[in-house]
Amino acid sequence: MANALEIKHLVKSFGDLEVIKDVSLTADQGDVICIIGSSGSGKSTLLRCINLLETPNSGEVLVNGELIKMSLDKKGQPQPGDHLQVDRIRTKLAMVFQDFNLWSHMTVLQNVIEAPVHVQKINKIEATKCGLELLTKVGITEKADDYPSSLSGGQQQRVAIARALAVNPDILLFDEPTSSLDPELVGEVLKVMKSLAGEGRTMIVVTHEMGFAREVASKVVFLHNGRIEEQGAPSEIFNSPKSERLKQFLASNLEG
Amino acid sequence: MDILALLAFDDTGWGDEMLMGMVITLLVSVSAMAIGLVFSVFATMSKLSNNVFSRVLGNTYTTVVRGIPELLVIYLFFFGFNNALMAAAKSLFNYHEYFEFPVFLTAAIAVGIISGAYSTEVIRGSFLAVPKGQIEAAKSVGMSKFQIFHRILVPQVMRYALPGLGNVWQLTLKDTALISVMAIAEIMRTAQIAAGNTKEPFVFYIFAAILYLTLTTVSTHALNSAENWANKGVRRA
Repeated sequence: MANALEIKHLVKSFGDLEVIKDVSLTADQGDVICIIGSSGSGKSTLLRCINLLETPNSGEVLVNGELIKMSLDKKGQPQPGDHLQVDRIRTKLAMVFQDFNLWSHMTVLQNVIEAPVHVQKINKIEATKCGLELLTKVGITEKADDYPSSLSGGQQQRVAIARALAVNPDILLFDEPTSSLDPELVGEVLKVMKSLAGEGRTMIVVTHEMGFAREVASKVVFLHNGRIEEQGAPSEIFNSPKSERLKQFLASNLEG
Repeated sequence: MDILALLAFDDTGWGDEMLMGMVITLLVSVSAMAIGLVFSVFATMSKLSNNVFSRVLGNTYTTVVRGIPELLVIYLFFFGFNNALMAAAKSLFNYHEYFEFPVFLTAAIAVGIISGAYSTEVIRGSFLAVPKGQIEAAKSVGMSKFQIFHRILVPQVMRYALPGLGNVWQLTLKDTALISVMAIAEIMRTAQIAAGNTKEPFVFYIFAAILYLTLTTVSTHALNSAENWANKGVRRA
């Protein structure tokens, strides 16, 4: 059986600045991979290259063994080769953003059922039923008809998780999901993420929450200057780090 | 002659003519605003495009039309448009007869050109005001470009654009007074004729002002309700 996700020799640069330098990574079904590293190490860019919110300069991304086709534009820059394929694969790779990015002109429930109804063409009654179940799962049923602006950050992020789950994705991508939250709201979001991991969902999580990575991850990847400096099981990474940079990073991130 | 007789709805009074003028003003305004919005969508796309030529085209339109007096735009268009059409008919279809493009449409397009230039700036600003994350979220669940445009972008652009477009609407409504030079019997032209005939200019210009105020006040209320509707979900500070 194919890997849930396979990244091969990915390179991404913004102008002259090379942000991702030849990164390869695989995730099996049910893996929870936490990507850690200091700011500017390329964690978010790597994640955004997976669903092509950023277009990689070179390298390959395979989802369930299916290669995302790339081509070159008129100026010789890489671009997605087949937009229909990209749109289809993106529904298998739902993403949760640092700033929630809930659609502000739609209610909570409308946010959740938007993609099922309009992208996946699921019957609206059916989608609403599933949407409400997902809202129950993340614990915000009573806010279904409210607009996102009236919710707290933690509630908005839980809605965003429900929205991501609504397309029934194979892999969930989390881009620093708790970094915009007040400290007292971080817990409620991590709790939802833990329960998802417990269900055996495949998750790629860019995070600063070392406690979450240690407790939930099946593999921890430490990114430094666009390269994978070290990777392994949480116990290895946190208890017996080998590289000097990882030791420094952990020293400054585990204290506070 | 007392004022009521001047404004009576009969053969000697001017009330019915003035009301008809109000209807014409409203019709020209609505047509001009609609034509202007079509222009502004294309001009916005040109101005935000990656293509240098189309950016220059869009910028030239807004710079020229906003940079010269509106009356001059109307004169240029009024005298130029028909000639240009006749020249085109001559060269394309070998048609040599004199003809006149319907003057109402000429007026609506002329005011539409002005209105569109201002709408362009409003719509362009509104496009740029939509947070990038809203679009990325739509991409991340597999929405196509078209779906992103009409499900996410348009409703949010509307929200940012409505106050500005309301402003453009008021300008457009008042700009229609300029087409009185084309001998279209809208409020201004009718008031001029009535004033000349009755030697009571003050009465008719005051009445014209009241009619304009009625139109702007009523439409402002309508626009406010539209804004409230478009702003559902926005928390007010």
